[in-house]
Amino acid sequence: MLTIQRIFAAVLLLACIGLALMAWPYQAAFSYEPVGPRAFPLLILGLMGLALLYMLFRPTPVVHSEDDPQLDRETLQKIGICVALLLVFAGTFEPLGFIVASILVGVPMARLYGGRWVPSVVIISLMAIGLYLLFDKLMDVPLPLGLLDVLEN
Amino acid sequence: MDTLNYLGQGFGVALTPYNLVTALSGTLIGTVVGLLPGLGPINGVALLIPIAFALGLPPESALILLAAVYLGCEYGGRISSILLNIPGEASTVMTTLDGYPMARQGLAGVALSLSAWSSFIGALIATCGMVLFAPLLAKWAIAFGPAEYFVLMVFAIVCLGGMAGDRPLKTFIAALIGLFLSSVGIDANSGVYRFTGDNIHLTDGIQFVVLVLGLFSISEILLLLEKTHRGQEAVEATGRMMFNLKEAASVFWVNIRCGVLGFIMGVLPGAGATLASAVAYMTEKRMAGASGTFGQGDKRGLAAPETAIGGAACGALVPMLTLGVPGSGTTAVMIGALSLYNITPGPLLFQQQPDIVWGLIASLFVANIMLVILNIPMIRIFTRILAVPNWALVPVIAIITGIGVYAVHATTFDLFLMIGIGIFGYILRKLDFPLSPVLLGFILGGLMEQNLRRALSISNGALEILWSSPITFGCWILTAIMLFLPLLRIWRRRSAQRRALANV
Repeated sequence: MLTIQRIFAAVLLLACIGLALMAWPYQAAFSYEPVGPRAFPLLILGLMGLALLYMLFRPTPVVHSEDDPQLDRETLQKIGICVALLLVFAGTFEPLGFIVASILVGVPMARLYGGRWVPSVVIISLMAIGLYLLFDKLMDVPLPLGLLDVLEN
Repeated sequence: MDTLNYLGQGFGVALTPYNLVTALSGTLIGTVVGLLPGLGPINGVALLIPIAFALGLPPESALILLAAVYLGCEYGGRISSILLNIPGEASTVMTTLDGYPMARQGLAGVALSLSAWSSFIGALIATCGMVLFAPLLAKWAIAFGPAEYFVLMVFAIVCLGGMAGDRPLKTFIAALIGLFLSSVGIDANSGVYRFTGDNIHLTDGIQFVVLVLGLFSISEILLLLEKTHRGQEAVEATGRMMFNLKEAASVFWVNIRCGVLGFIMGVLPGAGATLASAVAYMTEKRMAGASGTFGQGDKRGLAAPETAIGGAACGALVPMLTLGVPGSGTTAVMIGALSLYNITPGPLLFQQQPDIVWGLIASLFVANIMLVILNIPMIRIFTRILAVPNWALVPVIAIITGIGVYAVHATTFDLFLMIGIGIFGYILRKLDFPLSPVLLGFILGGLMEQNLRRALSISNGALEILWSSPITFGCWILTAIMLFLPLLRIWRRRSAQRRALANV
């Protein structure tokens, strides 16, 4: 775990340096105040850089609680699938519409968490339609209909 | 004597059947909205403004409705915090620290009812304080200039690290990440685009809802995946639903202390419930010392932030009503609602429209009592969420999270950003970084930078302003003590280890 922490600290440190370089040219065209727009971010990035440098050389051991299982290949694979499903959800949210995207992503996700096919399909479909009605119709949070747009008229 | 007269008049307004029904429906809606992850008081109040306006409510009823929703949301926010370990908003982050472990120990019902009780006491103390001190507090709060605010926020950030115990460095880094993220977007003072990478969706910064849902909801969803893999359930609810007298008595002084603290913190503009709950939790943790089991389900650790939130939620209305300065995001939204009715909050409001002010204050009493009465029997319904299996719950959390994020700006960019932040949060969690400092840093970051720049504008760039007044100087001394504490602790542990090694 210490190596992973070192890698993490190094990556974050590089990001800090990159962001600081990005912040360097930030200057107001004309200004009424003594402190410009780059002072605060540079201060924060500098402090973060120092803390990360310390961590790079002296990483602290990670304490695992008992109910925190070690990561194995299978879990990592599941996490990868879950992230992919979430990305599909974000990508199809507008083109396919809220209800279709929710069912499309929700059902495989329910399967991933150990649900059986039939109850997963039934519950997720009902929830998707119910949530749409609750938020779009009742609470005035506009949600895209997408493919189901034809039903509206 | 005047105050009591006005208060009586206020109860006359609040206790009309029409306003009672308004307050009741407000508390119910608020509790449900607060219960849903990703929908906090800001969303709840913001969503209700157009509805209240469309319903044609008179101004005092509209204000009562919004205040009741506000209180209900603060109330409902604890449910997802305690049962799911997902704080609905920043202020309930501290509630998760001990509330979730309590739920995992099978005390979910006790945790919920105890937190309802704590919040009630906090709100009651603050409402009494509001009646007594509103005019005096207005004067006191003005004494805080930008320099004082900046130093107070530095103190708050250092406090987080100093109180974090075994991992001050990681807490500090997490807070800095939050502070940095707050500077993304267009700079309000100079109009310079910062860290946006020419992406128009980032121009007004990272939305708080996106950050909070990514960090907590998405990373929790990924963590749950590991646990179902091993056949472990998130939380199980068994046993008692109500706290007993002994438990209530054991946190009574915590309630009183944190209620007063929450009220004072709530009154300070810009501080609000988030800071109050953090400071209350940290202070009680300190005071309990070795006798406490904070972080593992200590009842005091649950009561402290809840009481402070209850106190701060009411206290935040004081600067809003007396000065027109919002103490929190929610009160800022409420000022927007008031301006729809052509009401300008400020000292004049007390003289010109006492019905509105005192009716609102009286309705806070009424709404608080309603919440306790409603919540204690409804705890069974709330805990029933736990009986829902993960495979049904997690996709629904994911979908509602998506709605919550989409509702802010209606762009799918925010959805992708949330997933990115969620993965980052998951990695941070796996590497044992605490996540709540990221959020607190994010909230304080904008305020900190504004106050720093304002202070230095006042002094024309001279840094002395940051430590010249007695308040700032005192804050710096406290900050130094806080910085010194973890170093002392580390040094002690090291020398103990060295001695142990030498003996072997």
